[in-house]
Amino acid sequence: MMWFKQLFKIDSNVIFLLVVFLCLLVTGTSTALDGNEILLQVDRNLQPESYEMYRKLINIEPDGSKKEYVLYTVKKGQDRMVALFLSPASEKGRSTLRLGDNMWLYIPSVGRPLRITSLQSVIGGVFNNSDILRLDYSAEYDAVILEETADKYVLNCKAKTSSIAYDSLKMEVDKKTMVPVTIGCYAASGMLIKTLYYKNIKDFGDDLLRPSVLETDSPLYKGYKSIMIYARINKKKLADEVFTLNYLPRVDELR
Amino acid sequence: MRVNCEHALPRLLFFLSIIILFFSFLSVTAGEDYSFDIEKFEPRDFEWGGYAEGRWEHFDLNTDGAFYKLNQYKNRHSTLDRLTGTMQLEALYKKGIWAFNSVLYAKVSQDDMGWSDTADVFEANLSLKPAPFVTVDLGKKLFKWGTGYAWNPVGFIDRPKDPNDPEEALEGYIGAGIDLIKSFGGALQTIALTTVVLPVWQDINEDFGEANNVNLAAKLYMLYRNTDIDFVIFNGNSRSTRYGIDFSKNLTTNFEVHGEFAYLNKIKQAYLSKTGTIIKRERSVKKYLLGLRYLTESDITTIIEFYHNGNGFSETELDNFYQLVDNAESRFLSSGNNTFFQIAEDISQKGYGSPQAGRNYLYLKVNQKDPFDILYFTPGLIAILNLDDQSYSVTPEMLYTGFTNWELRMRFSFLNGGNLTEFKEKQNKNKIEFRLRHHF
Repeated sequence: MMWFKQLFKIDSNVIFLLVVFLCLLVTGTSTALDGNEILLQVDRNLQPESYEMYRKLINIEPDGSKKEYVLYTVKKGQDRMVALFLSPASEKGRSTLRLGDNMWLYIPSVGRPLRITSLQSVIGGVFNNSDILRLDYSAEYDAVILEETADKYVLNCKAKTSSIAYDSLKMEVDKKTMVPVTIGCYAASGMLIKTLYYKNIKDFGDDLLRPSVLETDSPLYKGYKSIMIYARINKKKLADEVFTLNYLPRVDELR
Repeated sequence: MRVNCEHALPRLLFFLSIIILFFSFLSVTAGEDYSFDIEKFEPRDFEWGGYAEGRWEHFDLNTDGAFYKLNQYKNRHSTLDRLTGTMQLEALYKKGIWAFNSVLYAKVSQDDMGWSDTADVFEANLSLKPAPFVTVDLGKKLFKWGTGYAWNPVGFIDRPKDPNDPEEALEGYIGAGIDLIKSFGGALQTIALTTVVLPVWQDINEDFGEANNVNLAAKLYMLYRNTDIDFVIFNGNSRSTRYGIDFSKNLTTNFEVHGEFAYLNKIKQAYLSKTGTIIKRERSVKKYLLGLRYLTESDITTIIEFYHNGNGFSETELDNFYQLVDNAESRFLSSGNNTFFQIAEDISQKGYGSPQAGRNYLYLKVNQKDPFDILYFTPGLIAILNLDDQSYSVTPEMLYTGFTNWELRMRFSFLNGGNLTEFKEKQNKNKIEFRLRHHF
């Protein structure tokens, strides 16, 4: 029996050391976030999972002339979103639906919603459809930390599938607020398509503290700039049927 | 429902549209600011809007064409200039689960032939929406079924589109309908059923088909594995029974394909024989369409559609009609007798005069957004080719939407083909159009 007690004693010591090591490991991982965890936090800090939102989009031309659009948007879960144009009059009543990689544009006079693609732009300017109907970053990208400084993370986000508008993102995240500051959007060739700048942190209520302005410029549109101003973001419960083609003529009723 | 009004109402709407155009132009020059006053966009019980439009057209008439001879034999011109004012008013009133939607349309035209005007109620529809998954409609409503851009073989209760302007509003039909939607997780994401009861009585939907019948149309929509699929059926005695299926799918982020197939059972049709007699026939036909939409990196969108119209006339049948018009002209010029023209006019209304009366067509639309760094500028081209007789129409256009709520469009259309071909026998040789539209 001695040999058994000896063995048990040794094993107990080993088990004790293992437990201590695992505890340290678990504590360690809970403080050091990986890229995907940062991306998840960024998503939740930018918007609730299901919400309604009012936005103004402004396209500015090199000569300073500008064109404005106002959109009412609802989103549910990670990949369902609808945006309704409230202004200008020429666009009023148009709505766009996104279900994962599928996008449609409903024009009241056309009747039948038309399939559109993420790279097109229903408003012209630097924002394309995937910017206007942006899903959670974590739904579309896998992230790794490229660089970490005292006040920011730099993430390299790689598209999960080839159907996503940008092949990769280079995202700078502010450590204090855990929201993006700048995002470079790249094609598969490595070409920079556009840069997004998140600005003007604002309290939207309900513990939502996030940038209220998103600016973008692009080397493909030299001298042009587009701005998105967020005015109201509220949590909202929405039926699944809201995110269907047949519901598009009714989106205004959600307001 | 067409309202036969005197000239007063269209003229009033025309002058109203001119006033709106004028004052709106002044407001454009006043400029905008960056402020975002969200109160301005709060929902209201009553909302209205629409557009006012001015259009100038110059036609070079095809004096050798069959439709020129048929339409102009009494009053011959080689050119025609036309000024048109159009106004469309849309209004929506909603209270709780009820909503009333209406679209009114008025048009006045002045050309070398004289003055004409129309005023129509395009839509007037009461909706009951007790839950997100159900809508009940009663009244006049526009239906646009199918996935095709220029044509819709499965649009059994639609008004036919103009392939040169497929996005324009059209007049609806009076009926009652119910729309049910259900969403799911998994491969089948959505299923929706739309059913419409469409009566044809005196003064109600009279132009739809045979009167004193109540018709039923239904569409079952599915979003299955990221593909839109519709099954469509029409049953009733105003038109023959017909079945259809369509689909639409994005193969990549910039490439979409779509198609439609329709089977029309026992269609009644009158056609012109070689001897010039009208023969009635009944046959079952197929119509189908296959199309794609492709977007390049430089923002060029291309839409291509092949359309087979099984209900269309063969080349020989169309030739017989053009020959009949030729004979009518010879007889009219020699004796002043227009009997043959009257016969030809009657036959023309039985289908020969419809915009695409043949069997096989190819449609091409190409446009580029914001070329040369000019934002809101969209040059493009629309081409329609009759594959049977190789005749065609080509319409280059330029669209500018840079002024808020304004659209400026310029178009030039020309039609060509061999003798006795569809586009060579049309009334116009070419057309220049300038359109200014203001949304309010």
